[in-house]
Amino acid sequence: MSRIGVFICHCGENISRTVDVERVALEVGKMPGVAFSTDYKYMCSDPGQNLLKKAIQEQKLTHVVVAACSPRMHEKTFRKAVEAAGLNPYLCEMANIREHCSWVHENKEEATAKAIEIVGMMVERVKKNRSLPAITVPVTKRALIIGGGIAGIQAALDIADCGHEVILVEREPSIGGHMAQLSETFPTLDCSQCIMTPKMVDVANHPKIKLYTHSEIELVEGYIGNFQVTIKKKARSVDEDKCTGCGVCMTKCPQKKIPNKFDQNIGMRTAIYVPFPQAVPNTPVIDRENCTMFKTGKCGVCQKVCGPGAVDFEQQDQLIVEAVGAIVVATGFDLYTINEKPKGSAIKGYGEFGHGKIPDVIDGMTFERLASASGPTGGKILRPSDGKEPKQIVFIQCIGSRAREKGISYCSKVCCMYTAKHTMLYHHKVHDGQAYVFFMDARTPGKSYDEFWRRSIEEEEAVYIRGMVSRLYQKGDKIVVMGSDIAVGVQVEIEADMVVLATAVMPQKGADTLAQKLGISYDKYHFYSEAHAKLRPVECATAGIYLAGACQGPKDIPETVSQASAAAAKVMTLFSKDQLEREPIVARVREAGCVGCFACKKVCAYGAVEEKEIRDRQGNLIKVVAYVNPGVCGGCGTCQATCPSKSVELDGYTDEQIVAMIEAL
Amino acid sequence: MTQPIDTSIYAAITEAIQAEAKRLLSEGQVSVVIGYAAGRRKGSVQPVVVSDAAIADKLIFTPASVNNLAVYLTKAKKEIPKSGKIGVVVKGCDLKALVGLMGESQLKREELYLIGVPCAGVLASTVQPDTVLTADTIASKCCECDAHLPTGCDFVPNVTLPTRPQLEWKYAAEIARLEALTPAERWSFWKEQFAKCIKCYACRQVCPFCFCEQCLCDRNKPQMVESTPRPAGNTAWHIVRAMHLAGRCAGCAECERVCPMDIPLNLLNRKMAKELKELYDYEASLEVNEKGPLTSYTDKDDQSFIK
Repeated sequence: MSRIGVFICHCGENISRTVDVERVALEVGKMPGVAFSTDYKYMCSDPGQNLLKKAIQEQKLTHVVVAACSPRMHEKTFRKAVEAAGLNPYLCEMANIREHCSWVHENKEEATAKAIEIVGMMVERVKKNRSLPAITVPVTKRALIIGGGIAGIQAALDIADCGHEVILVEREPSIGGHMAQLSETFPTLDCSQCIMTPKMVDVANHPKIKLYTHSEIELVEGYIGNFQVTIKKKARSVDEDKCTGCGVCMTKCPQKKIPNKFDQNIGMRTAIYVPFPQAVPNTPVIDRENCTMFKTGKCGVCQKVCGPGAVDFEQQDQLIVEAVGAIVVATGFDLYTINEKPKGSAIKGYGEFGHGKIPDVIDGMTFERLASASGPTGGKILRPSDGKEPKQIVFIQCIGSRAREKGISYCSKVCCMYTAKHTMLYHHKVHDGQAYVFFMDARTPGKSYDEFWRRSIEEEEAVYIRGMVSRLYQKGDKIVVMGSDIAVGVQVEIEADMVVLATAVMPQKGADTLAQKLGISYDKYHFYSEAHAKLRPVECATAGIYLAGACQGPKDIPETVSQASAAAAKVMTLFSKDQLEREPIVARVREAGCVGCFACKKVCAYGAVEEKEIRDRQGNLIKVVAYVNPGVCGGCGTCQATCPSKSVELDGYTDEQIVAMIEAL
Repeated sequence: MTQPIDTSIYAAITEAIQAEAKRLLSEGQVSVVIGYAAGRRKGSVQPVVVSDAAIADKLIFTPASVNNLAVYLTKAKKEIPKSGKIGVVVKGCDLKALVGLMGESQLKREELYLIGVPCAGVLASTVQPDTVLTADTIASKCCECDAHLPTGCDFVPNVTLPTRPQLEWKYAAEIARLEALTPAERWSFWKEQFAKCIKCYACRQVCPFCFCEQCLCDRNKPQMVESTPRPAGNTAWHIVRAMHLAGRCAGCAECERVCPMDIPLNLLNRKMAKELKELYDYEASLEVNEKGPLTSYTDKDDQSFIK
C-alpha cells in the first residue's frame, strides 16, 4: 500500500495568489493512497526541504509529490532531498501548479479546482513509479569548440590550459572572427589586432589544441560525455604541412581583383590568399570559384612559384571523425544586410537608406576596416566612391534593431558604444571633420561605458541628434540625410559626405542548420537558447553542449570573453569526473511483445536501439528483438509512441502511468 | 451490361505453377510451397501448404484465388517449417504486402522463392466462387490494381495478360463522395459503419501487416482499447487499425473480404493511402523501403497542420 506524501508550495505568492493552497492540501489529503499532505511558503528553501525530509521519515512515506513549479525548475532539488531522506529519488514527482495553473489563471475558485486535479493526476502516476538506479557513462575528456572567434579562442585556451584536449573548428580559412576585423575597441581604444593576435598565436602553438580551419561540422552523434563529431575539412588546395607561409604564391597570382570579405569587400585580394596578414594558420587557401586554374584549367602560376611544392589542385574535402565529451558553440554573429530581404523571414529590408545603391552609405563593420591600420586604406578614412576624405559624416543608430515593425525587436547592444567609438576615431583622423549621430537612446551600461560616450560628445565634438532618419539620397557627390530632431521638434537635413549605419547584430547564416545538427534549440531570430535565462546562461537544454558569445545574443567583447570562460568552466566541471551519472529515464523493451519490426530503431534520434537475438538453451534463434542501450537513450519516448504493439516503454512515463493520469481526471 | 473478363490464361498459369512446384520440391530447393488448391464447394479455392512433389498438382490458380498468402509467412507461420526456403504463390497485391514485410524486418528475401502470378483479377467476396469473372463480379480492388504483373519474382509463368475492359473505380468514387461531405456527415457515415462491428477481429487476423504477437488491443494493463463491441471501443479499434496501416497497407482488401458485418474497411485503407500519397508522395510499392513516411522525418514534410 502506498503512503504518499504531498507537499504544496505557495511559491511566495506566485501560487497562493491564485490557488487556495490550503484547500488543495485538504482535498488531496483525502485521496486514496495519500498519507500526508501539507503546504508551505517556500518548499524549495532549506526549512521547506527539511519539512519534506522529516515527513518522509516520520510518516514512513513511500512516494512523494511536490506540487510547485515546473519540474525543469526544481525536480532535481526535490529528488535530491528525497534521496537524502532515504527514498529512491525517482519515487518523487512534481505537479506543476505554477506554470500550468496559477500563472495562467485569474479565477481563484477554478484555479484551485484545477490544481487539485493536477495534483490528483500526479498522485496516481507516482503510485506506479519504480525505484530506478542511476546510470553511469564514461566521459571522453576532449572538448569540441565550434567557431574560432574571440569566444571560441577564449574557451579553447581555458580548457586546454586545464590540461584537456580541445578540437577547435572554424569555417573560415583563419581563426580570429569579427574581433580581428575591428580597428580599436571600446571603452579603452586599444587596438583589436594587438590584443587578439597573440591569443590566436597561443591557440596555434598550444600542444593541447587541434585546429581545423576552413572546416565545418557535418554530423553530430552521441550524447553528453560521448559525442562523435564528423568534421568536413574543406579542400584548401594547399598542403598545410608543406607550406611555409612565405606568400610568394599570393604576389604572383594573376587574379588580383577579388573583393576581400575580411575587408567588407572594399579591399581586394588574390585567388590564392590568406584573409589578412596576421591569419592563423598562415597558410593560403585557393578560392576555387575565382581561380583561373579551376575555371579554365590553365594557369598554375602559384604551383610553379611555390618552393616547397605545397599547392595541390587535386586536394579533396576530407571527413574526419573526432570523439569528444563536450561541445562549446561559439559561432558568433553576422550583421544585418539591410538592402536584402531574407527569404521566408519576417524581416523587412530598409530600401529607403540606399545601402548597396549609394556607395558611400556603409555599415559599421566597413567603417572599422577603413579605420584599421591594416585595412584597405591603411587606416585613412576615405570614401569608397572617390577616395576623398569625408568632412561631414553621419552615423545612424538602430538600423534594424528595436524596430518591431521591421521584424527585429531586440536591441543589438553594441552599436551605441561602437558608434561613440567611431566618432572618436573619425575625429582623431579627420581633425576638421564633423560627425553627427542620429540616435533613439544611448544605452551605455557597463564599466566606463557612459564616461566613454560622454567623452565622444564633450571632448570629441560629435553632435548627437535624438531622432530617426526618414530618407537618404544622393545629390551630386553629397548624400542628403533627412531626419528629425525630436528634442527640438524640427526637421533636420544634413549634406553628408559619408553615412555609417549601425546595422543590427544577427546570428550567423546557417545557425539554424547547425542547431539542428546539434539538437539544440534556437529562438525566432536563430539565436541559440540557453537552458535558463538567469541560472544556466551558458548551458543548452541539451546536456553536454554549451554556448559562448554572440551566437546566443548580441554581446560585446568583455561579455563574450566572460561567457566563454564560464562555458569553459562548465566543460571542466564535466571533465572533473571519470564517470558521469545520468538520469535513468530511459526506454526499456518488453521482449515478450516485441516482434522486431524495428520501427523504434528507425525513429530513434539517438541511435540507441540495437538488434538483440533471443536464443534458447540449445542456441537456436527464437527471435530478434529491439534493445535500448541505456547509455545512449535520451529518454524522449519517441519509440514508445511509435511501437505498434506498445512493447517499449519509457521508465517514469509508462503507458500504465499515463493512462492512470488520464483516468484520474 | 456485363462485360466478361478474359481469364483463359489462368489454366496455363495453373500448369506452370504445378510444374515449378514439382521441380522445386523434388530438387529440394524449397521445403514447402504455399499456394491455392480446390476447396470442397464447387469452384471454391483454399490456401494449401504443399511439402511433397507428388501432390504438387493440387496447386491451382482461378478467379477464386482471393487469399493473400503473405499472412502464412508471418503470424500464421506456425504451420510452416522453420528451416529452408519457402515457395509462395503471389499476385501483385500479395507481393506488395511481402515487400512491405521485408522493409519491416519480418521477412528476408533470400528465404523466399516467389512464384509470381500475372493476374487479370479475382472474384468479389459477394459472389459464389464458381461465378464467371465479369466487370460486375470482379473484386473492387482489382479494378484499381496497378500491379497485374508482379516484378522481382523468382519465377513468373510465361503468359500474356489479356487487355481488360474499362472498369469502374469504386473506391476512388466513394472516397470522392465522402470527401465532398461535411465533417459531421462524414463522421456520421463512419459512426454508422463502426457501430456494426462485433469485434471479431477477423480483419486483424487476416491482415499480413497485423503481425504483432501481442496486439495492443488485447492488452489489459493498461487497457488501450475497450474490448467489448460498444461504439466508442469499436471506433477506437478501427482508428488504431487505420493509423497502423497508413503508409503500409498494400491494398489486398482481405480485411474487407473477411468482415462478416460488411464494414468497408478497405475504403478507409485507401483513403489513408491517398492521404499519405498527397502528404508525403509515398505509396506501398514493389520496392523495399527502409523507412516509411511515418517513421522518417525530412525538411520537406508537410508542416501545415502546425497552427
